[in-house]
Amino acid sequence: MSGENQGGAIVPYSEEAKKPVVYPLRHGLKPPISRLGISWSRGNSLRVTVFRQPSEDSENEVGGKAVEVRLDGRDGEISDAQWRRIAYGSVSPFALLQSRKNSFASLSKISSTTSPFDAEWWEYVLEYSKDISSLLGNQTSTTQSLIEDPKEVLKDPEPSNLKAAWELMESFYADKLSQAWLPERLVDWLADYDSLFSSTQETVHSKLVDFQKDLVSLQVIEDEPKYWEVMSSALAVGWLDIVVKLLRLHGSYQLDQLGNRETENGLVEAVAVLISKMPRMRPELEAGKLGECFKAKPDFMKAWEKWRAQIAKLECSTFWIQCAHRQTQEGLRNMLQIMLGNTNNLCTLTCHWMELYIAHFLYIRPFTVGLESMYGLAQKCIQLKPMAASHRLMGLLIGILGENIEVVLAECSKGFGPWMVTHAIEVLTAGSHQADTLLHEERDNLGGISMEELHRLVYAQVLSSHPLTWQIAPIYLTSCIKQGMGLLEMLLYKQPVDHNQLLLKNLEICRLYELDSVSSNIMKIAGMYNWKHGKKGSGVYWLQQARDEARLNRIAQQMFDSVGRSISDENFRQWEGLIQLLGSEPKTAGGLEFLHNYRDFKKSLLQIRDGKTTDAARQAVESLISLMKNPCTPQRFWLPLLHDSLKLLNWEERPLLNVLQTNLLLNKLQELSIARLRPDFIEADLPPHALSSVRLALATNLGRTTLEEQ
Amino acid sequence: MIRFCPPLNPNRGYELAKGTIAAARRSAEMVWLSPIAVSGGNIATLDKGTTCSSWNYCGQRLATGSTDGTLSIFDSPDPSSSSFTCNLKTKVHAGAILKVVWVPPEFGDAVACICSDGSLLLWEEIVEDAQPLQWKLCKSFESTSTQVLDVQFGVSSTSLKLVAAYSDGHVKVYELLDPLILKNWQLQAEFQNAIDSVTMFRKASCISASISWNPQKGENQGSSFVLGFNSDTPQLNSSKVWEFDEAHNRWLPVAELALPEDRSDEVYAVAWALNIGRPYEVIAVATQKGIAIWHVGANPELDGRLSVEKVALLSGHGGEVWQMEWDMSGTTLATTGSDGMVRLWQSNLNGVWDEQAAFQPTA
Repeated sequence: MSGENQGGAIVPYSEEAKKPVVYPLRHGLKPPISRLGISWSRGNSLRVTVFRQPSEDSENEVGGKAVEVRLDGRDGEISDAQWRRIAYGSVSPFALLQSRKNSFASLSKISSTTSPFDAEWWEYVLEYSKDISSLLGNQTSTTQSLIEDPKEVLKDPEPSNLKAAWELMESFYADKLSQAWLPERLVDWLADYDSLFSSTQETVHSKLVDFQKDLVSLQVIEDEPKYWEVMSSALAVGWLDIVVKLLRLHGSYQLDQLGNRETENGLVEAVAVLISKMPRMRPELEAGKLGECFKAKPDFMKAWEKWRAQIAKLECSTFWIQCAHRQTQEGLRNMLQIMLGNTNNLCTLTCHWMELYIAHFLYIRPFTVGLESMYGLAQKCIQLKPMAASHRLMGLLIGILGENIEVVLAECSKGFGPWMVTHAIEVLTAGSHQADTLLHEERDNLGGISMEELHRLVYAQVLSSHPLTWQIAPIYLTSCIKQGMGLLEMLLYKQPVDHNQLLLKNLEICRLYELDSVSSNIMKIAGMYNWKHGKKGSGVYWLQQARDEARLNRIAQQMFDSVGRSISDENFRQWEGLIQLLGSEPKTAGGLEFLHNYRDFKKSLLQIRDGKTTDAARQAVESLISLMKNPCTPQRFWLPLLHDSLKLLNWEERPLLNVLQTNLLLNKLQELSIARLRPDFIEADLPPHALSSVRLALATNLGRTTLEEQ
Repeated sequence: MIRFCPPLNPNRGYELAKGTIAAARRSAEMVWLSPIAVSGGNIATLDKGTTCSSWNYCGQRLATGSTDGTLSIFDSPDPSSSSFTCNLKTKVHAGAILKVVWVPPEFGDAVACICSDGSLLLWEEIVEDAQPLQWKLCKSFESTSTQVLDVQFGVSSTSLKLVAAYSDGHVKVYELLDPLILKNWQLQAEFQNAIDSVTMFRKASCISASISWNPQKGENQGSSFVLGFNSDTPQLNSSKVWEFDEAHNRWLPVAELALPEDRSDEVYAVAWALNIGRPYEVIAVATQKGIAIWHVGANPELDGRLSVEKVALLSGHGGEVWQMEWDMSGTTLATTGSDGMVRLWQSNLNGVWDEQAAFQPTA
């Protein structure tokens, strides 16, 4: 099958695992399909052309379709527009962190004692993580309504898996301060994201949602068994504010009942107070959340013992006998059992293993610290409540708890796509030397790049495949030391040049990253595109910008040909602008010098025709002489030039050429007469007597100038 | 090489629920392509009788050829749109067009068409004198006895080269004389696809050929391409890497991409991967035995040959492989073949090549 070995994998692939996913490619054509064609477009979008076998019967049938397949690794949870907002928003936090990393690196070169992983580095990473997190949407706490509905126990936020995953990464890797109270962070996390598990199975959240629907229609709430069950479940996962709120809906609080249900109400309130006084091993609580916070473990332990003692005392109290309402009595005592850490109760009242896990942290093992014991506990909970279907967030969490960076990375990539993995790597490497080594090690199997670079390249490719996001790909590519520039060059090369704005943007990126050869190639393509599409001026302009001497020389040559064919004024005007554009930089072709001189010569001639000034005539003669002297002037131009100059040669007032000059021209004429005998000579398009009239004019001029010079 | 890290303490905790750890291990070696979200859809509708298609360098133009010799050009209204409509149809040949190949953009907007009679035509979009924009025939490579099977263009610093493979097993390399005009081509070399350059195989009969230029751009890049035949002459079949020897102005075979026992295998397709910074080249070669991935050394050894290593043999399409294309980073290979599927291949972090996804066309 594939490869001759199984690499270094300890766990061999099973045949089943190797089967790739087969995706349908919908094209809407009637069979039979005769052939397929494939082509990669920009980034990682693949274009498939489906050709249909032509059939005899119908005339106007379709012969094939081209279909685009984008392999962007995104799920449908986030819309395209939202996704682009995230992509654009994450650029500046990413770039800022990279630049900080670079300055840290240069600092540590100076003094070998500072490493990027010490000092305040993680604070930068946390800042980055918070910036990224804020892009992924806001959580409940910010969306408090002004008038609170006493019967609304649940807010209705729409948390995303992506945000949930990011928060996990932040809690475990970026936020060093949270290391001491990780279990409590998980409690908060589940409170925010429990609803994400509701799609595949029942959860405490889904129970609460269901109950909230019934709440409005319930008359005597405490008679309803569901009321007590839902409250106990919520208590099990530590949603204390919700539980207390629900408890206070108890009928005994109603003013008309308070009198004859005093003891009952006292018990309800006592439980509510105990719940709201629950000691929490955490620095602080959000406003509206219940519990008493303790930063130091000894204080927490002391408070915990005290709290537990109070619960136990209430449990044994005699007031229970005086409580006439059976459901209330049972319900409240059940809740006390939860707070006392009754395993059976916790297990029946929670649905998802994660909920049971949280319940364990809250009531059974409140002093759990360290990933190893957290991992062990997770395994136990999974055993007690196996997952019906695997969930990407759980895969990630297990990887994190298992302290396996590779799995974390793989789960990020598999579950949340290239954006996640690229940005999460920064968090992952922040505090862990193991992750840092793993991600920065150069690998032969990857063509010499590190995993960090690989993931950035993949993400950049995803960005490249969309016309609205390709422009941010360079930020990520330039952070790749080895292959980023290569991919950037390819990306820039694959941008169309026929839209001026896009072309300028493209060249701006080249300039920014000093990609001179790419930019000259792009300008070359633009030059050729314009040249061939009738925009000769822009064509020449871009070729000049590209310093493409070979093509410019050829263009100059073409001009010679064109100019040489007929020397009419209209034709000249057509070319004049181009000659101007071609410039006269010493670097460009020698041919251009000729064209410039030729242009000057023609200009002077035109002036003579208009105003007959001797000065212009002198200038024309100078141009003529320099043209004829210049070895670059093609031979086939000699006669047309001289023929054009007949007027100069026969200048009425006085001869304009001196003896030396006249002799030069006569020699050229002689050379031309000899050249005409050769078979490859190209005859200029001139009247048959042109040569003799030029010769006569030159001879006359020689006579006149000799006389004058004597 | 990555190994799956064993837990720090093998005896700790409980066993993870069955399947979880296996999944975790598999994903640790996972590849970076997944998950694939297939989005997009129809972007162009082709006319009846269309047989071949080709996208230009930036994916903004599509050229198709059909059985009645019509060349169609599809464009999109703006660069951000992915809907293409046919803006031009021109009859370029009396017979069918079998293959369309775009000329590199540095030389204008032009395509080469291989026609059913074996001729090769170059058509170009151009404005000439005062005439409007039109597609014009700029060169016709005609041959009486042999047919062109494949053609590919290679750009070196200033010149454009064209390699054509013929049905008699010959390879011709033409060079463009004037970068502005696609009319004048000079035959630079003619040879057969054999390591032994002395023997001539006179009666070779080839069904198909596949050529792929080294896609590297840049001033210092020499010219090289890989070529394989599907013919009745074993010596011509195996894929060989040909490199232009500037000093002696000749083409030399510098590598053969076939193990000794596979040398006579008919080659269906070859594809040279883009190299954005690897120290070696990667070339895919498809034969009836499967798709082989070759690593080719960058620098010649003492005998002038390049070191080659076959790193994987992938089987998937069952029969003939029609086409292979590398993505822009040169890491993902897309293939299509007679089983009517499109398959994507990648190497994982251990360097093991594997199929990552497949696409099945459905109505």
